[in-house]
Amino acid sequence: MTGFLGSGKTTLLSRVLSAPSLENTAVIVNEFGKVGLDHHLLRRADEKTVLLDHGCVCCTTREDLVSALLELLNEEGRGETPALDRVVVETSGLADPAPILFTVFSHPVLQHHYRVDLVIVTVDAVNGELHLDRNPESTKQVAAADVIVLTKTDVAKASVTGPLRARLRNVNPSAGIIDAPFGEVNPEELLRPAAGWSPSETRDGFSHGANGSVPFPETLAVGDEEARHTSRTHSTSLTFDGPVDWAAFGTWFSMLLHARGEDVLRVKGLLDVGEAGPVLLNGVQHVVHPPDHLEEWPDEDRQTRVVFITRGIRSEELLDSLKAFRSIIGAGPRLLEANVPT
Amino acid sequence: MLCGEFVSQLHWTERPVERRACASEDARARDDNQRLRRRERIRRTAVANEVLRFYGLRVQDWAGRKYILRDGKGRSALVQDLGSLWPEARKLAGRPLDPLDPALHAALLGDPTVNGG
Repeated sequence: MTGFLGSGKTTLLSRVLSAPSLENTAVIVNEFGKVGLDHHLLRRADEKTVLLDHGCVCCTTREDLVSALLELLNEEGRGETPALDRVVVETSGLADPAPILFTVFSHPVLQHHYRVDLVIVTVDAVNGELHLDRNPESTKQVAAADVIVLTKTDVAKASVTGPLRARLRNVNPSAGIIDAPFGEVNPEELLRPAAGWSPSETRDGFSHGANGSVPFPETLAVGDEEARHTSRTHSTSLTFDGPVDWAAFGTWFSMLLHARGEDVLRVKGLLDVGEAGPVLLNGVQHVVHPPDHLEEWPDEDRQTRVVFITRGIRSEELLDSLKAFRSIIGAGPRLLEANVPT
Repeated sequence: MLCGEFVSQLHWTERPVERRACASEDARARDDNQRLRRRERIRRTAVANEVLRFYGLRVQDWAGRKYILRDGKGRSALVQDLGSLWPEARKLAGRPLDPLDPALHAALLGDPTVNGG
């Protein structure tokens, strides 16, 4: 769970943790905040990142988390704590969630005992626009989200929350958005199972693309200086005109991450690989969830749907590349939706 | 990678097939999955070569466990997976390998005037 300072993470967490269904959920917090979190499985970890030799910021190990998560396993093994259902890691406001995922996926022990379920990002409905305008980090957090919790909707005006919601949707079409007035949210809704991708998210995220191709937004017209600005965030939802070859798609995407990984803020989707179920793809910058081959599709829609959230990489560039790789991948791309959030 | 062999991290590109290869219960399904796994390695090598050709590089499967990357000058590098292939290829080619590069697109689309060198 991440989100900017003052966006209501701790309040939300304290409300959610009082639910009986979360009794066996451990919580790792960065600091014991002012809002007293009262929970028997509360642990503290001071964010301590260790940069690896290749030096990219997302592929760093959070040593503090390794210790805290291993300790929880040990306590469970010794019978000192009940069997854990879940661990919530609350980060500091500026934290990039990618290193947390990297830590769990790459650690030789942790990768066999934990899997990353959801990235929850809190956005303050009153000041959210301001954070997004001023802090590139907040856009990265929104891009990394599986669920966005809009807090303080009880005090924010509808004239503010409406545009904010649209903006969040533009930045990250694949994330579900939940309101939390007074810090109240239904824990079942927040921590929905089958994480990573759910049918309702799918319908939400791709509703505009269901009827076919969508033209590129006007702002992407050639010669538009604004659109060329390298810091712009773009979200591109696309499908393919047939099943894709997983080995080929993996080659293309691993190459993209090698060349432009820090500008690929997020990828999320279901890939039709010509089998009964799709491959679930989910990545935050260079850090890709171990892709699972699902037994079956989550809903009626059996076509590939992938969202790319990029910084400075335009939708056309991704499409041109996939078109050039068409004969290798086995199918050509078709744009469902392209957004350039303002 | 073979089942039981110690590799601390499986690259994500190899995960779907490796998971199935190791999860099978009966011997026959395991054999089938090992065949599937070999086929996917062959396919991955072929795909990578279509791209690497533009950069004057070539990759081969190495004992079903690693890949060996070579350039035209006799230099080579052993890599574990696609995650480590691209950085090594960048060293050998002396430039980044970018799938968004229009020159690469032209080469893949069969433009004979394009030569990656």
